Amino acid sequence: MLGSLYALLSLTQLATAQAAEEPATGLADSAALRATVYGTPPQDIAPLPAIVPLKQINIALPWARPLPKILWFDRRLRVWLSLQDRPAPLAIVIAGTGSDGNTAKLSILRAVLYGAGYHVLTMPSPTFPGFIAAASSTGVAGDLMQDGRDLYAAAQAIIARLPSSVRITDIDIIGYSLGGAHAGVVKSIDAVEQRLKIHRAVMIEPPVSMFDSIGRFDRLFTASIGPSESDVDRLYRRVYVRLANSFRAADEVRIDDTDLLAAAAAVLQTDADFSAAIALSFRLALMNMFFEGDLYAGTGVVIDPRHPPLPGDSTEAIERALREKSFSEYFDKVFAPYYLAHRPGATRESLIAGIRLSVIGDALRKDPDYYAQTNADDLILDRAELDWLKATMKGRIAVYDHGGHLGNLGDRRQVADMLDMLAGRWSGAGQ
Amino acid sequence: MRVARLALTVAVMCAALAGAGCATGDFSMRSEPPQTPAADNVAAVARAQQLQAQVAAAATAVQPAAQIGEPITAADVPSMQTYDPWERMNRFTYRFNARFDEAVFLPVANGYGRLPDPLRLGVHHFFANLSEVVSVINYTAQLRAGPGVRSLGRFVINSTLGLGGLFDVAQKLKLPGAPTGFGATLARWGVHPGPYLVMPLLGPSTLRDGCGFFADFATSYAINIANLYRGDAGWALTPLNAVDVRSNTSFRYYSTGSAFEYDTVRFLYVRKTLIEDEGLRLWHRAGKSDPQTPAGK
Repeated sequence: MLGSLYALLSLTQLATAQAAEEPATGLADSAALRATVYGTPPQDIAPLPAIVPLKQINIALPWARPLPKILWFDRRLRVWLSLQDRPAPLAIVIAGTGSDGNTAKLSILRAVLYGAGYHVLTMPSPTFPGFIAAASSTGVAGDLMQDGRDLYAAAQAIIARLPSSVRITDIDIIGYSLGGAHAGVVKSIDAVEQRLKIHRAVMIEPPVSMFDSIGRFDRLFTASIGPSESDVDRLYRRVYVRLANSFRAADEVRIDDTDLLAAAAAVLQTDADFSAAIALSFRLALMNMFFEGDLYAGTGVVIDPRHPPLPGDSTEAIERALREKSFSEYFDKVFAPYYLAHRPGATRESLIAGIRLSVIGDALRKDPDYYAQTNADDLILDRAELDWLKATMKGRIAVYDHGGHLGNLGDRRQVADMLDMLAGRWSGAGQ
Repeated sequence: MRVARLALTVAVMCAALAGAGCATGDFSMRSEPPQTPAADNVAAVARAQQLQAQVAAAATAVQPAAQIGEPITAADVPSMQTYDPWERMNRFTYRFNARFDEAVFLPVANGYGRLPDPLRLGVHHFFANLSEVVSVINYTAQLRAGPGVRSLGRFVINSTLGLGGLFDVAQKLKLPGAPTGFGATLARWGVHPGPYLVMPLLGPSTLRDGCGFFADFATSYAINIANLYRGDAGWALTPLNAVDVRSNTSFRYYSTGSAFEYDTVRFLYVRKTLIEDEGLRLWHRAGKSDPQTPAGK
């Protein structure tokens, strides 16, 4: 029974980890949508090492908010570490929206970085529910600088607890998607505080303006799925029918993990299907962020602050309500009320500005140790945002023609450029 | 003697639980099985090619093979809600399982994972071979001659050429394993999954498949092949089987970090069961299902 569970959860991970995590424009071409959902074809992946050792670290962080009973399993932050057996530079890698520190994409980055001689520490996104509970000082995720500070503090706490046999010669930071923005932010904080002395940062396909993209993304959800519960139900029926009929048509029923995955992959056919998968995966990530934000901030949108759910309680009604909630509702009803109350002088405009990459625009412009990689057809960027990124990063950005959002992460060229950037020898040749 | 063994087992479990208690401090660092990215990627390339070949074959096929009845439509799809009348107990059991997994099951499975590959593979094949007996019986009860004969063939080949099941020779002869059980037999004859059920230690199931699991175990115990189940070492068989299964399963409780994990697992597990049933059932009801009825009821 556990075996089939793994297949099922990898299905959800297929959706949440491989699909776009940031808002998509909905205007992208078919190839970009497909690349976004399927990810890098395995035959295009850069050379990988045979063996990568792995340790799981669990750490309780003193600044975390008191743990609500329903999140009993999230007491400690969980990160993963791969150690070289000799002194080596440390690469800190941060996951994208809503993702844990051990996604398939992080596994690829971990493998190539370990193969290139780094110790590798992979960390969840500050928007991952386990991070919000165990490592956020606010419980309300989304503010780039605040989330960056929590990440920075967590990284310090982890490195401080490593055994003395681990010798770190230098520290670099990398992140993909929203994690790319966090990587940049953490380096900018460190540039002032100097506690880790982070050398270089590589931002892989970061969003430029999460807030502006959100509107486009919510429209994609509405366009490909529909605004209400009944539309989600219709999508569910469509997928179920296709899967069930493919099993009924099967000559012989043999369902193992790979069959189920293959069947699920085969169900997606049209651009609308791919858009729906992308929109839904973001919505699933948002549901957790929304739930915990509402729980910690006590804003009462889906959770009664006087009677929060307990471990034995059904959460189905809350989950159903959250399926219909867009990011703009999260911003207006949870995020903004919390920060307006807790940050003196904050305005709605200052909060929106706080989730743009331009909060570290000066550092990105002036410090030669920031690098970026992105795709010309990335779903999370529009033309103006891509231009801003190019103008800001000047010669320190690689822009690939195709890949959608993260559909080329781990391919030979992306990896070769990333390793060159980390080594400070990237020349921009071949652009 | 049996009492002494039982006492020993309980003592080991208590010690493991106590040890796990220490591991729940403010900081812990523990080794996981090493990753093998190069080999995994080679396997992924092979799978992708296989999938492409399947898609190509499906595109050129004149008509789908052995379509069972009319294709279902959106109106036949069970509701997104799941029939879970024992939810409070199930959530409690899920939580217990998560803690047991963390404290006992995973540490033991990880320790077991450090044994040499050929040894673990031998154990894995051994249990897979034992399960062929139950599969043959159930395929017969399902009136499915082809897979039944294949399971029988696998059992004969692997028990002899495979040295008592330690090697999967049949796999190399292009006879891959396809285990089945009493739950599937019930599904074949039209029994619905019934309420969602989280079984202690075993995890998500349904009432039907939970009963099927125990029926299969009882069958194995009754047949008692090579006196394995009721012999002197019978007490070690089930735990070893469990450890083998766990060490081959990547699932981690609460890896989603989400308060909705129970709901997500329940939704996916029951949908997977229902979709498998679509392929198993001998006949299909003519009437449309009521979209308001929770799935599994």
